[in-house]
This record gives sequence, C-alpha cells and structure tokens, in this order.
Amino acid sequence: VSLARQDAYYWRFAGTAFSFTLFGLFGLLLGIVVLPGLALLPGGGGARCRRARTIVRRCFRAFIEITRSLGFQSYRFEGAARLGQPGQLVVANHPSLIDVVFLIAFTPQANCVVKAAMWRNPFTRWVATAARYIPNAPTDRMIELAAAALAAGETLIVFPEGTRTRPGEPRVFHRGAASIAVRAAARLTPVLIQVSPTTLTKAEPWYRIPPQRPHFALRVGEDVAVADLAGIPPPRASRELNSRLLAYYAAQLPSTD
Amino acid sequence: MHTKDELLSHVRESLIELFEIDPERITLEARLDRDFELDSIDAIDLMERLRRLTGRKVPAESFRSVRTVGDLVDALHRLLETSTA
Repeated sequence: VSLARQDAYYWRFAGTAFSFTLFGLFGLLLGIVVLPGLALLPGGGGARCRRARTIVRRCFRAFIEITRSLGFQSYRFEGAARLGQPGQLVVANHPSLIDVVFLIAFTPQANCVVKAAMWRNPFTRWVATAARYIPNAPTDRMIELAAAALAAGETLIVFPEGTRTRPGEPRVFHRGAASIAVRAAARLTPVLIQVSPTTLTKAEPWYRIPPQRPHFALRVGEDVAVADLAGIPPPRASRELNSRLLAYYAAQLPSTD
Repeated sequence: MHTKDELLSHVRESLIELFEIDPERITLEARLDRDFELDSIDAIDLMERLRRLTGRKVPAESFRSVRTVGDLVDALHRLLETSTA
C-alpha cells in the first residue's frame, strides 16, 4: 500500500469532518424533534421502541449511503439478509468507530450493547434511550438485560472486544458476550469486518485519515454452535464458547492490522 | 432463616459444582479471585446460583467488598437478615 495521498485526499479529509457533523446532527435531530414526535403516536412502549429502532436503522443506512456517494468510503456487506432473526446474538470484531453503524443499518429491529458513556453524550443519549439499547456497565446488569432481550426474541449486537481493536495487537474477547450467548441466544452469528486501509481506529485521532479511500468489507459468517453447551455449568460453557469464537476469528481474520 | 453454617454449605456446593474447586481448598480464608481465579463474570454466575439456593435476589453492590469465602458468607448472612427483618 502506497503512503502517497490518493483518492481525493483533501476532499475526504473535509468529508470526514463533515461526516462527524452529519452524524451529530442526525443524533440531535432525532433526539429533539423526531423521536419526541413519534412518541406522540398511539401505541405503548414496545411500539415506540420499534419505531425508534426503525428510524435509527434508516438514518444509519442514509449516513452510509451519503458518505459512500460522496466518495468518503466504499463498502460491501455479504450475507446481511441473515441478520435480524429472533433470539439471534450477533457478534463482530471491532476495527473502526463506525462498525456499529454498519451493523445497525443492516439489522432489522436491532438491539445493541453500547458504551454506557452514550447516555452522557447529548448527540447519542436520546437515541440510546428511545431505542432501549443496553449499556455495557455494570456488567451484571448488562448480562441480565441482554439475556432478557434475547429471550424475548430480539436480535442483539455485541462487540466481544468491548472496545475497538488496537491494530497489530492480539485480539482479546471479553467473556461477557459468550456468557450472554450460553444463557439465552437461540443462535450465535459472527460478522467479520475488515477495513483497508484502516481508519477511525482506537490508535489514531479522527483527522489522521488514510492515504486511500477506506473500504469496509463485512461478511456474515456461519453460525457458531452453542446448543451443545446447554447443561454444562455456565462458567465452563462460556469459557469454552469464548475460545471457540476466538479460534473462529483467528482462522478467518488472522491479522488485527 | 439461614444459619452461617447453612450458607457456607451453599457456597461450598456452588463453588464445587460451578468451578470444580477441590473441596479441601474451600476454607473461610480462601480468596475467590486469587486462590480460585474467579473473575467478574464468574462472580455473576455464582451470585445467580446463590440466588436460586437462598431464594433471594442478591444485589451485586452488597458484594463489592467480598474477597474471601468467609466475606461472602458474612455478606449473604447480613443480606438475608436485613431482608427478612
């Protein structure tokens, strides 16, 4: 990969700043105007939450298509039709800041475990509240809510790494995701995400944009077996499942670069 | 009402079943984290099981200061005493 600045570098630089602004505006507009407006429609809490999730998914999809058509990124999402099944736990590796935007944009009625800090950020708190996403802390509460959501037939997205990968460092999966899976998942579906060149990683500030236009390759993998772990005590079952997951990702995506 | 002895046997039984810990190593002084290598997810699994055995919801906050098997028995005892009072 050449380090020379290509693919309309300065346009993409301005575009990255624009994208952050756009995302924040979406968040504020949803929180202040759209979601309170929708809350006035008839229907109980469940209907309100479903409408909020539909709106969030469409906004995220719009965000992806806008930034793509302006040339800030390109992407390919294979197998997305398999996302959104009842009781499905969707796990993914986490190379970039906007992985979650892709997953929510392509998963009907997705619930998602997200950073508890989202509830303290004015751009994200209203959306997180209305869509009833699950805060990642405290851990016992997170696991309880996540298991309840799956048991109720929702589709739940979790990043087992907890935070974005540091490129080049070994991948670590927290056992929380595996623990949720052995408690309540009807199926466990891994999504493999590769971003090249890397962008918006944990290790770099937003303005250090890649020399070429980043390409997001997302692929829905084969389900990872969980049913055979029923009946094994949860501490052992979740450890076994966590190593299965890590082995799967190590085989499919050996490098964290 | 649960006596401390009953609670200790619940804890002992749970540690053996969930984590396959050698019964001889389960003393009141044994550290859950260092001696048995339990992490925060293990603690959640353990609390869930103790909740089933004691029939009470065990709030995680009451176990912040728990380090040893003895601490755990004391914390459970205090919790069950206050909740039945």
